[in-house]
Amino acid sequence: MAAKKLRRAQLSQEMCERLSRYQITTCQDFLCLSLLELMKVTGQSYYEVQKLLCKVSRACAPKMQTAYEMKLRKSDNPSSAFLSTTLHSLDRVLHGGVPSGSLTEITSPPGCGKTQFCIMMSVLATLPVSMGGLDGAVIYIDTESAFSAERLIEIAAHRFPTYFDSDEKLLCMTRSVHLYRELTCCSVLKRIMSLEEEIISKKVKLIVIDSVASVVRKEFDTKLHGNLAERSNFLTRGASVLKYLAEEFSIPV
Amino acid sequence: MQREVGTLPLAPALRARLAAAGFQTAQELLDTGPCGLSKEIGISREEALEALQVVRQECHGDAARTAGGSGATRKCTALELLEEEQTQGFIITFCSALDNILGGGVQLTKITEICGAPGVGKTQLCMQLAVDVQIPECFGGVAGEAVFIDTEGSFMVDRVVDIAAACVQHCHLIAEAQQEEDHRKALETFSLENILSHIYYFRCRDYTELLAQVYLLPEFLSEHSKVRLVVIDGIAFPFRHDFEDLSLRTRLLNGLAQQLIIIANDHKSAVVLTNQMTTRIGQSQSTLVPALGESWGHAATVRLIFHWDNSQRLATLYKSPSQKESTIAYHITSHGFRDVQPPAVTHGAEGTELNPRKRPRTEEEKQ
Repeated sequence: MAAKKLRRAQLSQEMCERLSRYQITTCQDFLCLSLLELMKVTGQSYYEVQKLLCKVSRACAPKMQTAYEMKLRKSDNPSSAFLSTTLHSLDRVLHGGVPSGSLTEITSPPGCGKTQFCIMMSVLATLPVSMGGLDGAVIYIDTESAFSAERLIEIAAHRFPTYFDSDEKLLCMTRSVHLYRELTCCSVLKRIMSLEEEIISKKVKLIVIDSVASVVRKEFDTKLHGNLAERSNFLTRGASVLKYLAEEFSIPV
Repeated sequence: MQREVGTLPLAPALRARLAAAGFQTAQELLDTGPCGLSKEIGISREEALEALQVVRQECHGDAARTAGGSGATRKCTALELLEEEQTQGFIITFCSALDNILGGGVQLTKITEICGAPGVGKTQLCMQLAVDVQIPECFGGVAGEAVFIDTEGSFMVDRVVDIAAACVQHCHLIAEAQQEEDHRKALETFSLENILSHIYYFRCRDYTELLAQVYLLPEFLSEHSKVRLVVIDGIAFPFRHDFEDLSLRTRLLNGLAQQLIIIANDHKSAVVLTNQMTTRIGQSQSTLVPALGESWGHAATVRLIFHWDNSQRLATLYKSPSQKESTIAYHITSHGFRDVQPPAVTHGAEGTELNPRKRPRTEEEKQ
């Protein structure tokens, strides 16, 4: 939205040309300038510049929705609002399960079962909706190389023996879990940025990242000077992209 | 009338030409007339006419201001202000201790900033206020609507439903106890659907969308004149990453603060912002301070800092022009923001129940 070119914001052609001479081509550049600078750059009077500002703002401002509309939308589609974890007390505490459309973070000391939980959620997401799943593919970004496909099959076969009664079904399930092994921060970020198209093409219904902390701690030593800022930069950028994906596609992350 | 040409809001090229032609005051321009002006500086007659209209408007505005007349003025005596402040409403928070230290609740026409570590209850308070601003006047509310600008995506509709239901129930109890006619009439319109449809929600993904939305807010507020609360949840989030140029950030934030002050004053609404905490590494220890730097601290009139003390949530009034600094404890229950129940009261069971949707407070990721 921010990188929207001014041309598409319905400014006149000559105005756009004039602004591009000062290297102002996107809405972001335009809105970052103060009123006086805008007057200088566009050569227009104060009131004209205010009208231009409104036009450009309208082009990139978010749409309004009332809380009521959001609630109606959610209640229209109750099954996809949560992914149940099948642990009843956990589901009760979480009000239904892992919520779709937002980020859920699982933290614990090593060995407590985070990766196992992630593998189980992957199995659950591939189940059909009638069994409490999301009937979709799973994207699993693994930074610790801790994902074991055999364990995936073991969990599926033992947990839902009636559903996964044939090898055929098990293989089908494994085909819908897409595993990406990333070992550096850069590649994780690149992978997250590229996810949008994969989600649409593969009909993904769950994104799992295991784990964020390991790759960040390996690369950024907080005792060194500039690293704290860079690390938080990386984390917040990744977080905002993930939030966008979660909300846009209404899937749990 | 003696206003200098250089200060008029005309296009810069036009101003340059006027200066080159030797015009110095606005009066000279008006005396020359459009035809004379167009001949002297070489612009078309239509442009000259437009410029003169702008000049005339400006001068009239000036004259009105010096005469102390119309609504464009911003001066009045302290007595008028006192009367205004006394009749002004507050937005209650349902936590009487917090209302007390704030002097009655969140004040209209002022900017209130809420800072705190993640998970301490800032968004909860914002959602509570978005419901509380709609309480009808006969119950002590301001009967307004709310605008919620969300930059972090932490607005949960189901939670607002819970809070609103608890608020409606509370009002029903009051109405039953007091049995007055206007209470019952007000309750007919104070229903769950109404509350939810009067919360206007905007989701801004980055700082450009936030800036654009704040530019468009005055227009929106004039269309929806009943709005009495503007909440910006997470003003720090879009400004904290991807910003190499810190001076640009300060400039944008200051511009934002100015616009919010104007909005709060002109539309008589309260503006509530939430901010994150950052660590300031001192000589021997590190302390948590509100994010966005020292200059941002001047933007808000009232500053609340939420923090933990073992497992008790505390709120400290850090900056306020009329109340003294104090700290109180509060709880977040399934009904929303509430007081800590004193141990002697029997109804206190719900006070210890934490909001089930909050994630457990383990390692906080440093942002």
